[in-house]
Amino acid sequence: MEKAKLSAYQLFVLVLLFELGSAILVPLAIDVKQDAWLAILLGMAGGCFLFLIYLCLYYYYPNIPPAIYMQKIMGKAIGRALALLYILYFTYLASRVLRDFGEMLVTFAYPDTPMFIVNALLMMAIVYTISKGIEVLARAGELLFVLIYLLAITGFILIVVSGLIDINNLKPMLEEGISPVIKVVFTQTLYVPFGEAIAFTTILPYLNNPKKARVTAISSLWLSGINLALAMAINISVLGVDLASRSQFPLLSTIQSIQVADFLERLDVFFMLALIIGGFCKIGVYLYAAVSGAASLFNVKKPSKLVYPIGLVVLIVSLAIASNFAEHLKEGLQVVTILMHFPFQVIIPLLLLFIAFLKNRKKTG
Amino acid sequence: MIRKWIVMLLMMIGVTLISGCWSKKELTDLALIAAFGIDLDKEGRYVGTLQIVNPSNVAGSQQPGGGGGQGTAVSVLSTTGDNLDEVSRRASTKISRRLYYAHANVIVISEKLAKKEGINSILDAFDRDPEFRNTATLVIARGTKSADICRALTIIDKIPANKIIKTLKTTENRWGENIFTNIQDVMKSLVSDGKEPVITGIQLNGDPRQAKNLENLQVSSPEAILQTNGLGVFKDGKLIDWFNGKRARGVVWILNKIKSTDVNINWREKKDAIAYEVIREKTSVSATMKNGNPRMSIHVRAEGNIGEARAPVNLTDPGVLKKIEKVLKKEIKHEIQDAVQAAQKNKADIFGFGEAVHRSAPDEWKKMKLDWNDKYFPKLKVNVKVEAFVRRTGLRNKPYSSNIGK
Repeated sequence: MEKAKLSAYQLFVLVLLFELGSAILVPLAIDVKQDAWLAILLGMAGGCFLFLIYLCLYYYYPNIPPAIYMQKIMGKAIGRALALLYILYFTYLASRVLRDFGEMLVTFAYPDTPMFIVNALLMMAIVYTISKGIEVLARAGELLFVLIYLLAITGFILIVVSGLIDINNLKPMLEEGISPVIKVVFTQTLYVPFGEAIAFTTILPYLNNPKKARVTAISSLWLSGINLALAMAINISVLGVDLASRSQFPLLSTIQSIQVADFLERLDVFFMLALIIGGFCKIGVYLYAAVSGAASLFNVKKPSKLVYPIGLVVLIVSLAIASNFAEHLKEGLQVVTILMHFPFQVIIPLLLLFIAFLKNRKKTG
Repeated sequence: MIRKWIVMLLMMIGVTLISGCWSKKELTDLALIAAFGIDLDKEGRYVGTLQIVNPSNVAGSQQPGGGGGQGTAVSVLSTTGDNLDEVSRRASTKISRRLYYAHANVIVISEKLAKKEGINSILDAFDRDPEFRNTATLVIARGTKSADICRALTIIDKIPANKIIKTLKTTENRWGENIFTNIQDVMKSLVSDGKEPVITGIQLNGDPRQAKNLENLQVSSPEAILQTNGLGVFKDGKLIDWFNGKRARGVVWILNKIKSTDVNINWREKKDAIAYEVIREKTSVSATMKNGNPRMSIHVRAEGNIGEARAPVNLTDPGVLKKIEKVLKKEIKHEIQDAVQAAQKNKADIFGFGEAVHRSAPDEWKKMKLDWNDKYFPKLKVNVKVEAFVRRTGLRNKPYSSNIGK
């Protein structure tokens, strides 16, 4: 474990940027059409519940990284195997986000540039940041947080001013009843983006004030959930359900629709900035989770030495995981959710918490 | 020391690589497309007509031929192909520069194409391409080939595409018989079960051969001129009818797109004696279900001033204004009802009544949506309620004509 201290505010900012990361750019929960915002809010509620599980584990072992407390809870062999699996999981997710990022940039901004170059450039920046430690990422986050909110507020005002919002597009509410919404919550929004906050278990031990962890993280999840729901509601009310669901990146189409006073238009750069800031923070956190996990599992004294090899792995995996964008999305929605998100975000933490609870009760009793 | 040099070298490489020369597009290598026209040729292939801006001829003085350059502000060329991507790429055989679509603001579709093949399948290329913007305007070339519309040179605005857009915007704001529809709006209506698109028609008055001549602009009254004319009514993606004049304005009333317009009413046997200028207008459309049948109600609320009074009328009397308001209501209601009846005859729900039903009665809508246009819409009961308010009468109260001969 490196010597670093994070303030509660820095955790708040990192969680928020991480959650908004790639989720604000993609058609989240569009399967339930105009009720997407509701599915996101419900997913957020579930995500908060999941995060409480991670927090309970953290409060049992406040100063120990997860890779170590897994061994304490489950025993050496199983604990190590689990920690290794988590490292692979975080590495894979980092490369998935990197792939999302590269696909978006190549699709709409750099059609002639190979994705390798785009991904490699971003990865270089991230690897450099992470090699300097988590504090650097957190401080960068503080700056980027202000920037992304300025962008979001400007964008929001411009959308309202140009009269694009048609609330009728969000009606009728719950057309097919509540069950499809619940289904989407439990198959999509609960895990992506809210359950993904499990990566923060590796960052929580650095908090300078552990008591504030719960309030900070949960309020950050709330704010991000509200932001995401609002963004999706705006996308649908501007584009209509049909266009929003046909868009690879609905937020981009929404921003492209802005036309104010004949000169404030074509603000694609807003999307670009949100994309790069979000991608940077999300990949950064995942990469850090993988690196610090590996460092504590294999007893590496200087975690920063691991950043370069794991970063390279992330880069190469991001290119190798799918041969086209459709395949990548399909994997993300179907395979990854069932085989990875559900066990890693729900089952294993619950199991760990249960055993930790029994062990600690024995100790005190 | 060596380490420092390596870092330095890496930074230099980074600076040169990252600075964005990868997919550079020099301005002198781009052909800026202002408008894109689509026609069908005899074999059923697409003919794309590209209106390309000549930057050097646009800059400079407003008079054509003077200042900036000797030639025309735009150059136009046409190519054929089986789809629009092929058309666009084949055009490279005729032009030295890379076609750049980010500023293509007008898409012209010929009436023949819209009638015969429909527009269901041709918009995808515009929707999909990241360079092209969904906010481009769509118009129908009425009575001519879209190539002729693209080739026509225009007065006042040098770039014809700009003239089309500005004319559309201005006439929508001032007169209200045409609407400004972009590709995104049209696609939304095409996809929706409860709404059919309407697209403004644009026609070329005069000889197409004259229209593309620079001499056409050097006279005070050009022989050929572009003009918006009517609203094209679509059904299942095909153009089926044109609504003109007041009927077209009736459609615009219902779509809540009237910003300001002029409504004339008769006063004591004198035809169109009083002109009423609408300055503010709001239409709300709602649906209710009665005994399993949908019913529409349209509520129009217009505010305006008296713009002209050609008959002796005492405008100082609020009672008279009330009377004028009453006649106005009738007049506006008549326009709206006429538009509704005409659309019902065409069996095309261009007003989005189906969407209103969908919003208010989602369960019943599921049963109706498949044959909404053919079965339910033509028999729909539509209740029109109009409120019209005369707020002010301009600088004068009574017209001078009421004092003549007194």
